[in-house]
Amino acid sequence: MRISWMTRLTFLEAIRQRFFAFLILLSAALVLSSVSFRFLDFGHGELKFVCDFGFGGMFLFGSVLAVVMSAQLFFAEMDNRTALTLLAKPVSRTEFLVGKFIGVWLVLGVFIFTLSTLLGIILWARCQELTAAALEVGKAPPELSITGLFSYTGMQWARLGVVAAMILMVASLARTFLFTVIVGSMLVVAGQLQWLAQETLLKPGDLNLFSKLLLTVSTYIIPNLQQFNIGDALTLDHGSVAEGAVTLSLFSGACYIVVFIFIGSLIFRQREI
Amino acid sequence: MNTGPAIAVKGLTKDFRIGLRGLKLRAVDNVSFEIPRGQVFGLLGPNGCGKSTTLKIILGLVAPTAGEVSILGFPFATTAARSRTGFLPEAPYFHKFLTGRELVAYCARLSGVKPESVNQAVEQALALTAMTEAGDRTIGTYSKGMLQRIGLAQAIVHDPELVILDEPTAGVDPVGSAAIGQMIKAMKAKGKTIVLCSHLLGQVEQVCDRIAIMDRGKLVLEGRVDDVLTRRDQNIITVENLTPEARRAAEEVLAQHGAKITSVTHPRRSLDDLFRELVTGSRDA
Repeated sequence: MRISWMTRLTFLEAIRQRFFAFLILLSAALVLSSVSFRFLDFGHGELKFVCDFGFGGMFLFGSVLAVVMSAQLFFAEMDNRTALTLLAKPVSRTEFLVGKFIGVWLVLGVFIFTLSTLLGIILWARCQELTAAALEVGKAPPELSITGLFSYTGMQWARLGVVAAMILMVASLARTFLFTVIVGSMLVVAGQLQWLAQETLLKPGDLNLFSKLLLTVSTYIIPNLQQFNIGDALTLDHGSVAEGAVTLSLFSGACYIVVFIFIGSLIFRQREI
Repeated sequence: MNTGPAIAVKGLTKDFRIGLRGLKLRAVDNVSFEIPRGQVFGLLGPNGCGKSTTLKIILGLVAPTAGEVSILGFPFATTAARSRTGFLPEAPYFHKFLTGRELVAYCARLSGVKPESVNQAVEQALALTAMTEAGDRTIGTYSKGMLQRIGLAQAIVHDPELVILDEPTAGVDPVGSAAIGQMIKAMKAKGKTIVLCSHLLGQVEQVCDRIAIMDRGKLVLEGRVDDVLTRRDQNIITVENLTPEARRAAEEVLAQHGAKITSVTHPRRSLDDLFRELVTGSRDA
């Protein structure tokens, strides 16, 4: 119950921020302009280019929003000392952190599903045109799965949830907003590249024990954020996605969220307000 | 029903580690006191003497290095203790986009007021703090005095047994300060225990039953206001139309009894009283 009120306040605060409005407008403009840039398709199918362009915008700006907003909303409570009022009430530190996380995650959901809907409309409209043109010349019409698009959106939302939980964990330890954003951004980049560590470990090679240990530990500590990026496969070629891949990625994301929030709340309990 | 003290602090010590070498700064040094239920307790001292740290420890916002604290019979920092406590922080800052009424309702829900009782509790708290009319304005438009009053409303909305007020009159004009003083008296009349941190010593003297004075982290004095302020070895007699002859005669009589007049002055009213008397209708609302 108290978590839901913390969530409401966080959501209301976040949705009113100019930074959120700015990013959602910028991303929407990017998604809308993707059709105008389709001549830069580098030989790929036009829908794939539009898809990649839109997904790129969602991925990039979604990551920026998740990092900055999670850190900002946490430190706004600390620096403005509103946390004093809230935590003097019968609200536990865990409830505070979980409320913050859900509030931020809902805002990220608004961001990602708004852009996804916009991208879906553009893809669908262009697909209709391309289908009519293909049928006229007797070619196979392009494939587009709106369900796949929203599956991908759900996965991106889960990815952003992992990022937000990771940032809140860092924030609960950090003293400043800037430190949190810098360290958080580095962790996001590390998460995007984590698959390289996995591949290196899987390849037969002469890694020394230290490197092997370091890579093994990093594959457990840092989440593999790349596993959520199967957007064009889900949207344009649904059959190419391995069975259970989406479920497995979502499950892995949920586990990381729980672990990060748990560690974050353990650290936050020791923090002096 | 638990009849022990509202707050019992025993051997409370707090060290802050500063710098990379972890040098210790002792903010609170072996402080012990008890606050009986239903009383107004003033915690006084200069800036940096450890008052706010002591309050934060009592509220569970800061962990003590050593010592014990219990609130209304419950260990401090527990949900049970905090659900019976209201807190107005120093220079309160609230989410500016909320209206006063929304903030108080939000705090009522966080404090565990039942959903069906929230509206009534909010209106009562707003009425007690004279914020009913301004309740629908956003907090960003409030003056300092109104911020303090809405802060007080959020602190008492769940009808706590213990109310902790950290500098409730900071930045508030004398009329507003007097109004807050009245609110404290009204809460005391309802049987609440109130802990008041303030630099307005005149007001503390008026509203508090007991005071404690801290300096450099240590408790240097604690007791009933009357006991610590009254000089039992001296008396004040207020006389009208005292002529020099009458004064000489009085001095002679007193000298026969081994007493003497040490000072003769004209009674003064306080600037605070004069200001409040002259300035009317300047309330924030």
